[in-house]
Amino acid sequence: MKKFKNTFRLIALYFRVNLSSALEYRSSFLLQAFGMAISNGTFVFFWWIAFSQIEGRIGGYDFNDIMFIWALTSSAFGASNILFANMTRITRIIVSGELDTFLLQPKDALISLLCSRTALSAWGDLLYGFVLMALTQGADSMAWLMFLIGIVIGGLLMTAIAVTAHTFTFYFGDASLIGGMALEFIINFCIYPEGIYRGFVRILMLSVIPASFIVHLPLSLARSFRPGFLLLLIAFSFLYCFAAYKFFYIGLKKYESGNLIVTRM
Amino acid sequence: MSAIEVRNLNKLYRARVKEEGLKASFRALIRPSYKEVEAVKNISFSVEQGEILAFIGPNGAGKSTTIKMLTGILHPTSGDISVLGLDPTKERKQLSYRIGTVFGQKSQLWFHLPPTDSFTLLGAIYDIDKMILKKRIEELTECFELGDLLKTPVRKLSLGQRIRCEVAASLLHSPDILFLDEPTIGLDVVVKHKIRELILKMNREQGTTIFLTSHDTGDIEQVCRRAVVIDHGEIILDQPVKKLKYDYLNRKIIAVRYDVDQHMEMPKGVTLEKAGKMGARLSVDTHICPIDEAMRWIISHGGVADITVEDPPMEEVISTIFSHQAVTG
Amino acid sequence: MKWIEKYSTVLRISLQNTFVYRSNAVGGLLFYSLFIFVFFNLWRAIYQGGEVAGYSLTQMVWYLCMTELIVFGCKSSVFGQMNEDVKSGSIAYQLNRPYHYIIYQFSNALGGMIFNLLIYGTMAIILGLIMVGPIPGFRISALPFGLFSAVLGITINFFFMMVLGLTAFRLEENTAFFLIYQKLVFMLGMFIPLEFLPKWLQSIARCLPFSYVAWAPARLIVAFSWDFFWQVIPMQLLWIFISIILSVSMYSYGVKGIQAHGG
Repeated sequence: MKKFKNTFRLIALYFRVNLSSALEYRSSFLLQAFGMAISNGTFVFFWWIAFSQIEGRIGGYDFNDIMFIWALTSSAFGASNILFANMTRITRIIVSGELDTFLLQPKDALISLLCSRTALSAWGDLLYGFVLMALTQGADSMAWLMFLIGIVIGGLLMTAIAVTAHTFTFYFGDASLIGGMALEFIINFCIYPEGIYRGFVRILMLSVIPASFIVHLPLSLARSFRPGFLLLLIAFSFLYCFAAYKFFYIGLKKYESGNLIVTRM
Repeated sequence: MSAIEVRNLNKLYRARVKEEGLKASFRALIRPSYKEVEAVKNISFSVEQGEILAFIGPNGAGKSTTIKMLTGILHPTSGDISVLGLDPTKERKQLSYRIGTVFGQKSQLWFHLPPTDSFTLLGAIYDIDKMILKKRIEELTECFELGDLLKTPVRKLSLGQRIRCEVAASLLHSPDILFLDEPTIGLDVVVKHKIRELILKMNREQGTTIFLTSHDTGDIEQVCRRAVVIDHGEIILDQPVKKLKYDYLNRKIIAVRYDVDQHMEMPKGVTLEKAGKMGARLSVDTHICPIDEAMRWIISHGGVADITVEDPPMEEVISTIFSHQAVTG
Repeated sequence: MKWIEKYSTVLRISLQNTFVYRSNAVGGLLFYSLFIFVFFNLWRAIYQGGEVAGYSLTQMVWYLCMTELIVFGCKSSVFGQMNEDVKSGSIAYQLNRPYHYIIYQFSNALGGMIFNLLIYGTMAIILGLIMVGPIPGFRISALPFGLFSAVLGITINFFFMMVLGLTAFRLEENTAFFLIYQKLVFMLGMFIPLEFLPKWLQSIARCLPFSYVAWAPARLIVAFSWDFFWQVIPMQLLWIFISIILSVSMYSYGVKGIQAHGG
C-alpha cells in the first residue's frame, strides 16, 4: 500500500514539473488544438451523414453511442498523454541510453521514465471528450459516471499497451515500428462500434488489443449497468497493467545483462 | 571498510550479429549467430573512502562497462562487486541513495527549466528533507559559483555552465561516492580546468570518494591521486599518479614549422620524430629537457611560422605502458 | 533532349533511394491494411441497413482501397520539404543549380510515388480480392483509364501540397492550412464517395479540387462509364494546370523577394 502512495506522490511531482516545463511552449499548443478540432470535426461530420442516410443502428450503435466512445477515446488518450507522455518514446529512450539516467535514481524506473514528459496538446484531447459528452449525453448520470471511470481505466490501458509494445525493444533491438503502431491500432479499434467486427477480431478486442475494455464495455455499462461487468472491467484492467509492468521489468533484466542486439558499449 | 571492492570481475557480451539484407535477416531468425566480446576480463581492485581514482584507457577499453557494473545498471557475468558494502546488482535502489553520477552526455537536468526546478525534483526523488535540501543547494551554489545560473533555463546555458550544474545536481543528496564517466569530454581547456577544480574541492571538503573514467591525460594529471589503466578489458597498471606521471607522462610532442629551411642539432632529450622540408615533429623528454628550454631552443632559431605543443595521445601512452609492462613483466 | 535526361536521372536515383527505406514501407503497408480492414467491417455493418448512394458493398470496399491508395499510399514529403527549404533559406541556394526547382521537386518525388503506387497498388488488389472478391461486371479494359485518372489525382495532390509549402514565403505558420487541406480531401471523397453527401454539398464539392484527388479516380475504377470519364478528366487536368501555375508563380514571386532582400 505504501508503494502505491509513493508512486502517486511521484507521479504528482512529475506532473507539476512537467507543467512548468511545457508552459514554455504555448504557441504550438494552439496549432495542435486546431488540428485536433478539425480532425474530430471531420469524424463527427461523417457519422452525422452516415446516420442521416441509414435507418436504424450501425453495428448496434446509434449516433449518441458513437459519440460516447469517441469522447471516451479522446479523453482517455488525453489523460495518458498528460501523465505519461513518454510512453510513445520508450524505444528512443532505451536505444539512446537515456534509460540509464532513470535506472540510477532511487525511484521506480518505469514510472519515472513515463512521467518525465507531458504533451500539452493532450489537454485538448481530454477536454474535447468532455465537450462532446456534454453536447450529446446531456444529463445522463450513468453515462457520465462510466465516462469518468473509463478515462482512468482507458488511460491506464493505453499506457500499458504502449509500454508492452515498446518493451519488445529489449528483445529485438528496435521496436519503434511496433511501438508507433500500437496506439494507432488501438485507437482505430476504439472509435468504431464493436458490432461491426465478427468472430476472432472480437476475441482480440477483449484481450491483446483491449479496445472493448477501453470503450465498448463502459458504453454498455452506461446503457445498462451490471455491477458484475464493472468488476470484470476493473479486474481486467488491473491485470493487464500489471502484466505490462512485469513484462517491462523482465525485458529490463535483459537490458541490464547487456545483451541488447544494439550493443551500446 | 573500503568504499569499492572489486574481485575477479568479468563481463562477457553476447551480441546477436545481424547482417544487412533480407536473406540474412531470415537466416538470423532461424539460426542467429552470436559474437562474444570480452569487455572486462577478470579485474580486481579496491578503493578506499576519500580516494580519487581514475580509470584510464582508450575507447572500448572497458571503462564505461566497469562503471556501469559498479553503479548497478549492468550485471556482471561473474565476479564480486561491493560498493559501500552493498551489491550493486541486487541492491541498486538502496545504493542509488548513496552514490552520485555524472555520465557524460546524459543529463539529469530538465532542458527547458532552470536548474533550481530540477534540484527541487531531485530533492524529492532522493527523499531529501526540505530544510536540508535548501541548505545543500546554498552550499553547492557557493562552492560551484552557480549564482545567476540557477534561474536560467538549462537550454540557455553554455556547455561548461551546464556541466557545473550537472555535477552540483549529482551531489545534492551528499553521496559518499561520486561516479563520473567522461565528465570533461567535449569541453574546452578553461572549463575542463574549472570542473577538475570543483571535483578536487568536493573531495577535500566533503570527503567524497571520486571515481572517474577518462581518456584525457589532463584528468589524470590534475585530478587523480591514483590511476588504474585499463586496456582491452584488463587492468595493466594501478599506480599513484605521481609515479605514472614520472614514468610515462613526461613526453611532449611539438610540431613546428619554420618559414625558412632549418638544419639544427637537437639538444639532449629532444628527438626528431618526423622531418619535412620546413618543419618537424619533435618529441621532448621533459625529464631531460624541460619544456621551456625546448621551446626557447626552437624559437631561438627564428622564423617560426607555426607551433603546436601536445600531450602524446592516450593510445600512445597506453601502448608505451603496455610495452613497458611486457618488457618488465 | 537534355532536360529530359536530367530529370529522368533524378527520378531514377530517387527510386533507388526509396528501396533503402524498406522498413518505412512495411509500416505503411501495415497501416494501410489496418485502415482497409476497419473500413471493410464498418461499411459491411452500414450496408446491413441498405445499399448506399448507388454503390454496392463490393464497389464501396474497392473504392476505399483506391482512395487510401492514392492519398495515403502515394503521399510525398513535399509540404515539409518546401516549408523547410523556404524557412531555412536554403531555397536561395537552389537558384544556383542548373535546374528549375519545381520540376526538380516533382521528379524527385515521382520516384517515391511510383514505387508506392506499385507496392500499395498490389496490396490494394490483394486486400480487395480477399475481402469482397472482384467487382461483378468489372472490365479490365477500363482499368487503364481509371489508373490514368489516379495518376492525375496524385499529381493534383502533389502540386497543391507544393503550393501550401510555398506559402511559407509569406506565412510564419502554415501547418494549419495543410491540415485543412488534408481534411477537405478526406471528407470530400477519400473517406466517403461524393454521392454519399447531401446534394448541396456535392455540387459545391464538384467545383473544388479536393474531390478530384481521390473520388474521381476511385469512382472511375470501381464504376467506370465514359460519361463520367469525360466529366472528371477535364476537371482534373484543369486543376493540375491551376496548381502548377500557382506553384510556379508563387515560387518565382517568393524567389524574387529573396533576391531583393537576401532571404
